[in-house]
Amino acid sequence: MEIQRRDFLKLLGGASGAIALGLYGCRNSIDVPERLIELAKRGPGIESWKNTICGQCPAGCGVSVRMIDGIPVYIKGNPNYPVNRGGMCPSGHSALEMLFNPDRIKNPQKRIGVEGSRKWEKISWDNSLKIVSDKMKELRNSGLAHQVAFLNGNAQNGLMDKHFAQFMNAYGSPNYYSFPSIKNQTVPYNLLQGVEQIPAYDLLNAKYILSFGSNFLEEGYSPIYYTKIYSQLRDQSVERRTRLVQIDSRMSLTAANADRWVPIKPGTYAALALGVAYVLIREELYNKNFVQTSTFGFNDWTDSRGKSHIGFMKNVINNYYPEEVSKITGVPAETILQIARDLGNNKPSVVLGGQGAEDNTNGTFTQMAIYSLNALLGNIEKEGGVYFVDVPPLAELPSIVYDEAARSGLEKTKVAESNDYTYPLADFSFDAFTKNILNDKPYPVSVLFIYKGNPLFQTLNHHEFAEALKKIPLVVSFDSCINETSEYADLILPDHTSLEKWDAFSNVPSVGFTHVGIQQPVINPLYDTKNTADVILKLSSMIGQSVANALPFDTYEKEIRFSVEKLYTSGEGAIVTEGVKGAWLEYLQQRGWQIGRYNSFDEFWKLITENGGWWNPIRKQKKVEDLFKTSSGKFEFYSKNLEEAINNVVRKAGGESSENMKKVLQALNIHTEGDAVFLPHYEVVSIEENMPLYLVTYNLLTNRDGNSSNQPMMQELFGYTVHEHWNTWAEINPVTAKANGISDKNLIWVESPLGSIKVTARVNPGIMPGVVSVPFGMGHTSYGRYAKGIGSNPVSLMKNKYDKLNGIPALQATKVKISLAN
Amino acid sequence: MNVIDLRKTIKKNSKRILIALSAVIVLAMVWEIFGAPNAIIQPINYNHKLHIEKAKLTCVDCHLFVETMAAATIPNIEVCSDCHSGEPLSKSPEEVKLLKYIESGKRIPWKKIYSVPAHVYFSHRRHVTIGEIKCIQCHGNVQELTEPASHPLWLATMKNCIKCHKENKVTYDCLACHH
Amino acid sequence: MPKWAMAIDLDKCTGCGDCMAACKLENNVAIVDAEQAADDRVMLWMDMMTIYEGEYPNIKLKRIPKPCFHCDNPPCIKVCPVHATYKNEEGLVAQIYNRCIGCRYCMAACPYTAKVFNWYEPEWADEFKTCMNPDVSLRMKGVVEKCSFCAHRLQKVKENARADDREISDGEYSPACADSCPAEAIFFGDLENKESKVFKLSNSPRAFRELEDLGTIPKVFYLSEKE
Repeated sequence: MEIQRRDFLKLLGGASGAIALGLYGCRNSIDVPERLIELAKRGPGIESWKNTICGQCPAGCGVSVRMIDGIPVYIKGNPNYPVNRGGMCPSGHSALEMLFNPDRIKNPQKRIGVEGSRKWEKISWDNSLKIVSDKMKELRNSGLAHQVAFLNGNAQNGLMDKHFAQFMNAYGSPNYYSFPSIKNQTVPYNLLQGVEQIPAYDLLNAKYILSFGSNFLEEGYSPIYYTKIYSQLRDQSVERRTRLVQIDSRMSLTAANADRWVPIKPGTYAALALGVAYVLIREELYNKNFVQTSTFGFNDWTDSRGKSHIGFMKNVINNYYPEEVSKITGVPAETILQIARDLGNNKPSVVLGGQGAEDNTNGTFTQMAIYSLNALLGNIEKEGGVYFVDVPPLAELPSIVYDEAARSGLEKTKVAESNDYTYPLADFSFDAFTKNILNDKPYPVSVLFIYKGNPLFQTLNHHEFAEALKKIPLVVSFDSCINETSEYADLILPDHTSLEKWDAFSNVPSVGFTHVGIQQPVINPLYDTKNTADVILKLSSMIGQSVANALPFDTYEKEIRFSVEKLYTSGEGAIVTEGVKGAWLEYLQQRGWQIGRYNSFDEFWKLITENGGWWNPIRKQKKVEDLFKTSSGKFEFYSKNLEEAINNVVRKAGGESSENMKKVLQALNIHTEGDAVFLPHYEVVSIEENMPLYLVTYNLLTNRDGNSSNQPMMQELFGYTVHEHWNTWAEINPVTAKANGISDKNLIWVESPLGSIKVTARVNPGIMPGVVSVPFGMGHTSYGRYAKGIGSNPVSLMKNKYDKLNGIPALQATKVKISLAN
Repeated sequence: MNVIDLRKTIKKNSKRILIALSAVIVLAMVWEIFGAPNAIIQPINYNHKLHIEKAKLTCVDCHLFVETMAAATIPNIEVCSDCHSGEPLSKSPEEVKLLKYIESGKRIPWKKIYSVPAHVYFSHRRHVTIGEIKCIQCHGNVQELTEPASHPLWLATMKNCIKCHKENKVTYDCLACHH
Repeated sequence: MPKWAMAIDLDKCTGCGDCMAACKLENNVAIVDAEQAADDRVMLWMDMMTIYEGEYPNIKLKRIPKPCFHCDNPPCIKVCPVHATYKNEEGLVAQIYNRCIGCRYCMAACPYTAKVFNWYEPEWADEFKTCMNPDVSLRMKGVVEKCSFCAHRLQKVKENARADDREISDGEYSPACADSCPAEAIFFGDLENKESKVFKLSNSPRAFRELEDLGTIPKVFYLSEKE
């Protein structure tokens, strides 16, 4: 009998999967310890690569995973994925340490001790889902569907967010929230321009970049996207290249790479921005044409009732004289003059506002002041300016047919809606949410889902929130490791890690083009875990037909396919491949070509999963009404949206009167009066405690949001910039150090009225005197063997303070003192 | 010779005996460390000759990655099942064993007889494709084997490697194999 | 014979630290725990130096990635009693772990502190052992190690090129750090190839080398605009 195996193999395409081998026999080597040899035992070493999306932070970089015999061993940036174009950040590499983390939850767990007792019992998926669905059915049947709340602590720029929202809507609860909410951060742009989106900045075409505390190379929405752009900007010689000036209280990574760093007192960015506006206006360096035709409220104006109002110009000229601004900000008047002149004389110039400016009690007004400089420069939708990208043509999830239970549930007030006059503009306020749960207002919460995120470590009010969690009868956590928050959960339904799951991400905020990335499993799940999206699908079918109908998919993967199919039918954009680069795309598009041509959706799907995603760098032509969605159809220096919102609160407070207005403004932490309230202006940050130093905190690339703390490589590299490994440190200026009798590498106490942390002092000139900076990320009391008990958490020193308009935590509004420890 | 005599003899020759004993121990240690390992018995008595002559297979048909990868790979059920599935092709009891493995999806626990230590990088492609070395040079006349080899023909010791590298005037830079 | 060299454009480098992580992952560099780290025993093949210049507030901060410089005249190889570290024909300064006796003379001799010592038996959780790079051998307690310019990648590239019967093209051999750098600040190539990017950059007026007067002739060039 003759078998032509060669032919047979040809038919099969030569493919026979990975083959595991017996053990390495190393009897002939005596010089390597047996234990190390054990480490090297593996299969034949067949290499393959798979593209997916990084899940270490929400920045959504495309990654290529190198696999040996099907086991991931290395991760690098996907060179074709347009967001990061092959680049990576340190944390991306340690996704493997998340996948193989020894502290992962291997199967569903039920808590048997009290909250935080760390006593767990294994439970089956069937039983755990039955507990949840029974409870949800019971609530729904008794008309209490609204008592179920859902917190999504992960990316909001993906299908997952829509998936959860769809589930909660069909179930009948208005209480689906994302945190930290990106919509909170869009408030300033909404107030001025009516756009609920984070802008993208065309840095490549700008000649001068002025950044107010926007640490876009380190803490931005997509640091690697901007690192790529920065690198491109630096291709030119010093004389000709774009200048970057960074205003920040500490020398952040962005400041270190800027041509100039301008130190500023925390919380005073708005004053500086308006000081710059003063110079632009006085020296007539602003874009008069744009201001005249496309803005409202620049000059004094009279409303329909004949009442006259002051304009932006008068407000600035009256209040932000550089000498005055200098006193507030600590920035010399001549520096203000200089940067304003550079800004006005090097067009196109662009202005960015970010973390340092935003994370404070006056964040909204500060961001408004900063963004209004872009209007003065006429930067909206201009080359080298600011723009908003188009939404990708993904399919919407099926429209929901609401039943009675859903309708009545959705009519209820949201739990996170503030009871007093605060947070009128917030999409989600963690503060209000927590307080309301504690007070059972407007009703108690019976079930809480928490997907990713770790509020008990990350938020300012974690003590309160811990109490709130204790109050809720059923807390269900969806995460891959047990952290501070899941210790308070009743059930943990373990999720896959990003390398094991399906997901789709689109339009990372501030990235300059429309894009969709497909996250796909590169390895079969290591443990008995499930993608939370699939768990939700299962729950919806268990709860009842009307909920199940809203999500008519067997698996989340099918839902992604459904959603992506519209990308294919739209005929727009192209799958990210080597050949399809930006300039070429534009060329084709201009000549009326359809850039991506695919024969069938199956082919499209195969290509998109192989290559990692889809993008469309060409933006639709914008009409004026698309740009300015305000009531005046213009850029509103005088924000009618804000006026409207505050007047609404005043009406809630008992009708329009100056008395009520005063009350409301006080509740909102606004000390300004009259028209200036609705104009970009500087609000004083009130700090009650009598302490000498400002405390500022920030996220490092090695550990964004504190989520990488369970990865030993990231713990070791945590403070690579100052060679602090597995340790939290505080940076102080030599002047501050000397005044406190501290020298470099001393152990010091950083103390606020709320407590104190012991950290290593690092004395260097890269921080303003009078400011202490402590990186966020360490100081876990849970989260596995590598995280627990290492370093300190600066958030534990901070008071429960927020921007009372949009609910963003005030991370720069604490004062502390320092002293030598031991 | 009675016991006393024996004792006397031992006492008289104690030095020589001691030397002989230690020589045996040293030899045993040397054997253990550098010597050939015990005969290896494979789970299936695979017949190379039969497969090559009757089924007209070549080495690379089953050792799939000989020409393209570092490891040549020892075929396991995925490869075997390309030909062997369902009805046996022969009357051999060894094939019955194989079919059992395939049916149950269990992997054949082949024992590896050629290996290099973890700190050595050895690439088949480098030797076979680039160096154009025939399989036979290191693995012997496998096509004539009717049962699996019980000992490696050639030990991958550094001495052996360097000898061949020198003879063939190829690199013996440490970095070529140790990284 | 090629001569491998690296150029790091400090004007482009942001100091993000990606190269450090890419390197640790690619080369199975052991991770020490908190206590050991406090004793300054962290092992970084790619280190990051920080330099502050100027008077407050006109401060300039420069972050400088620092691998092994693979000197053309390496001081470390002269002191090694066992030939565990040597310069090969292609200019790579090799460290052969199985020869190393751990005397650390080379560490003392290196003016750039590029070498690190395994003070402890490397420890990984069982789970992490599955994701080691099989191309790089694991080191044991008591040996010195350092950046190898990812020499194992060179072996693969050589194999690929020779299998296709062609020369290694510029940029084909690239260490993990250069491969992964998001700022595209690290270049790698053959100094003998006059067409290579590295050769061109090494002749740029912006190019300089660390402690050039020592005569070590590093093969890592830094590029920075003199401001």
